[in-house]
Amino acid sequence: MDKGNEIISRLVKLKDITSSKDIKGLTAAMFPGTHCPLMGAAMAIRGIKDAVLLVVGTDECTYYTKHMTLHSEDFGGMGGRCVSAVLDSTDVTFGCKKMLDRAVDEMVQEYAPQAVFIVTTCVVEIIGDDTDAMADGYTEKYGIPFVSVHTEHFKCENHIPGIERTITACFDFMEETEKNNSVNIIGQRLGRFEDTELFKVLSENNIEIGMQLPCGCTVDEIKRASRAKMNIILNPIGLPLAKKMKAKFGTPYIFFDKFTNPDKIIKVYEELFEALEMSVPQKIYEMYTKAKNTVQEVSKQLEGITYIYGNTPFDCMEFNQFMVKLGMKPEIIQTVSVEPERDKEYLEDILANANPYVTKTANIAPLQYLYDIIKPNLYLGHEFAARLRKKGISVVRSDSASGMLGFEITEFISKELLRAANESRELKKEIAV
Amino acid sequence: MSLTRFLPTPSDRMGILWSLLPIANTVVLEYGPAGTTHFSMGLFGELGENQENHLFTTHMSEDDVVMGDTKRLEDAILEIDHNLSPKVIFVVTSSVAAVIGSDIKGVCSYMQQKVKAKLVPFEQGGFRGDYSSGIKESFTQLVREIVIDNPKPQKDIFNLIGFSMGSYRALSDRNEIEYLLKRAFDLNIGACLCGETNIENIENMGGGVVNLVLRDEGKEAAELLKQRFGTKYVLRTPYGYKGTLNWLNEISQAIDKPINQDFLDEINERINDTAYYPMHTMMLKKDKPFVVLIGEYERIIGIGSFLNDMGFSNQLKLCLHNLKNITNPDDSVVFYKNEGDRLNAVKNLHRTLILGDDPTMSVCQKDNVFLRISMPVVRGAQISKHLPLVGIRGADFITETLEEYLQMLK
Repeated sequence: MDKGNEIISRLVKLKDITSSKDIKGLTAAMFPGTHCPLMGAAMAIRGIKDAVLLVVGTDECTYYTKHMTLHSEDFGGMGGRCVSAVLDSTDVTFGCKKMLDRAVDEMVQEYAPQAVFIVTTCVVEIIGDDTDAMADGYTEKYGIPFVSVHTEHFKCENHIPGIERTITACFDFMEETEKNNSVNIIGQRLGRFEDTELFKVLSENNIEIGMQLPCGCTVDEIKRASRAKMNIILNPIGLPLAKKMKAKFGTPYIFFDKFTNPDKIIKVYEELFEALEMSVPQKIYEMYTKAKNTVQEVSKQLEGITYIYGNTPFDCMEFNQFMVKLGMKPEIIQTVSVEPERDKEYLEDILANANPYVTKTANIAPLQYLYDIIKPNLYLGHEFAARLRKKGISVVRSDSASGMLGFEITEFISKELLRAANESRELKKEIAV
Repeated sequence: MSLTRFLPTPSDRMGILWSLLPIANTVVLEYGPAGTTHFSMGLFGELGENQENHLFTTHMSEDDVVMGDTKRLEDAILEIDHNLSPKVIFVVTSSVAAVIGSDIKGVCSYMQQKVKAKLVPFEQGGFRGDYSSGIKESFTQLVREIVIDNPKPQKDIFNLIGFSMGSYRALSDRNEIEYLLKRAFDLNIGACLCGETNIENIENMGGGVVNLVLRDEGKEAAELLKQRFGTKYVLRTPYGYKGTLNWLNEISQAIDKPINQDFLDEINERINDTAYYPMHTMMLKKDKPFVVLIGEYERIIGIGSFLNDMGFSNQLKLCLHNLKNITNPDDSVVFYKNEGDRLNAVKNLHRTLILGDDPTMSVCQKDNVFLRISMPVVRGAQISKHLPLVGIRGADFITETLEEYLQMLK
């Protein structure tokens, strides 16, 4: 059996998945592999303007994290607010507290932070140092909030838990305050909220924006987050914090993810305005009608287009349902999470029209053995475009949707899918010649 | 250790990885959490190292960590051997696998009979020193494990040992060394430990006429080759005009072949052209020249010696890695374990010629003259492969900055 068929023979199909544990990787040896939660934590702290990220870990983990921030304006570049406490073999044997005490003392004197995130990596978790207790001690000693965020990668699949834990850790900063009419924005991973359709809609209706976590806020704004009338959660990573805030401060929340389906989007707009005790503006319905028309228009030309789903900024299953409804056919879906009960509303539609293979993400190396067997039109996500073009496959680029919310996503992705599908048709013609 | 504000010194494991990645027809397999491998891509990409089909990770789950299960590693070895058929698979331990005590050598030992590729384990997980220890281990292990007993004799081939992709201007320096050896002795490069090279050249290293060792970390590997094949080696890096000539003279003695006369005349002319430089410093009435060199041991010793020849003898030398792998390190060289001590040593200097790395130079006062001679590169990027710091062209390049410094001094 050739390598491609051998790999495919090991994969599970969507219909047969009973939980995420059933999802197999394409191969045991992976490249490049998933991102780690340490990176996720750094991504989240980047948006908290006056907080310091203190990474506690090996030379390697601390090196790569600082390396990632070197050209980040948000972090302050080379001399910016990402610093490290590096473990040596003595710290691994006897614990890192003494070393961390010295590092924290120097850091507080030099950086005068408003809050500090002590982000621990795999080795710290294995040796079992109690950094939560250390953080409490530093809070008391220095009079500023210290929180410990745990980012061991061997307990999770990718970087997303790192973002989620960082956001959730901010709950410890929050104080009871007097309520106003603002709304908090929680869970935007990339891009600026100010650039989104949702921001424009809220602004036009005179809704004050409160804390934006983690896409741009100060420690003081986090402290006063309980004053908001409502939390708008833009990604599942924001849900644990939202639930804690609801329990302690009574702050209600609504879930407004990066949905692609206009019927889903109009529903969340309606929920949002109901929660705000306002009627839905006519303009929203006009956008809805326009998005529906766009979908109808492109679906005529996307019928039968096949694809491999890699990664996008959207909810994996919701977006796949959207594409299936456009007449497209998934051949392989790469994801780390399928839960039949949770994803029921999406899976029904997908499985009614297709039964794709499902495999884990971030392992593009062995995909090259599958392209000649699967022969898809499109690849959605990060792959080497030149390699794919030779196989007649067009890359769907969706990164720019990271800074979008609402019907603008439907408009954008419908056109991008159409562009890529047309390109694939041309590429396949060239290959045939 | 205490607070690290910039980039920490890379670990032994990182040094091993950037040493092994440029060897063609081999695969590096990391046994550890996938995030570290993915995170490393940015750095290795900057160093000019191709990772596609060269670097893989097994990832590790909580079960693997708690139970010490190595099945993932075994499966990955079998799979790489079957799918890619590399000549060698380097199995590199992660810090997690090292802390839990995974027996990588044992796994490689019992898996060896199941695969065609040679399995070479590296058990350093980042706790046995900094990258200086890692690159030393790579040079030595490659010679121990890969070099064959009956190599093809190669009368026009020299091998390079002690080359590091993690050094600033590494590829430019390599090109300059190849140029010097071609002009001076009509010799070509064979194996390069460890830059762009292939496993067959390493296997046949014993057939070369001479081994050129660019840094002390490569000495053990060169000694092993000397014991096995009687190959002489020269341990020195050619910095400055006189330094380059002395280096070529040593090679000439080792291979018993004179330096090409035309080339020798050219070098001597450059030495004569720059012989007046020490006079400049003697003519200064107000300023006293002071030079700070920050970087890898061989580099700061080598450029320091060159600048001394040029009349700039008042120097401070700060090494960016541990000195434990350097035989009898020079007393003038200081290594600070804590970054803060190193920054304190330079941040209040004025009217000084500072040759170093971007992070350290970033804390210095603006009224100094700067030249980047060390990693890491933060401002801009390293693209050229024809701007060396070694050899005649390297000396010319450094002299240009020396001129700038002289223009500042009164």
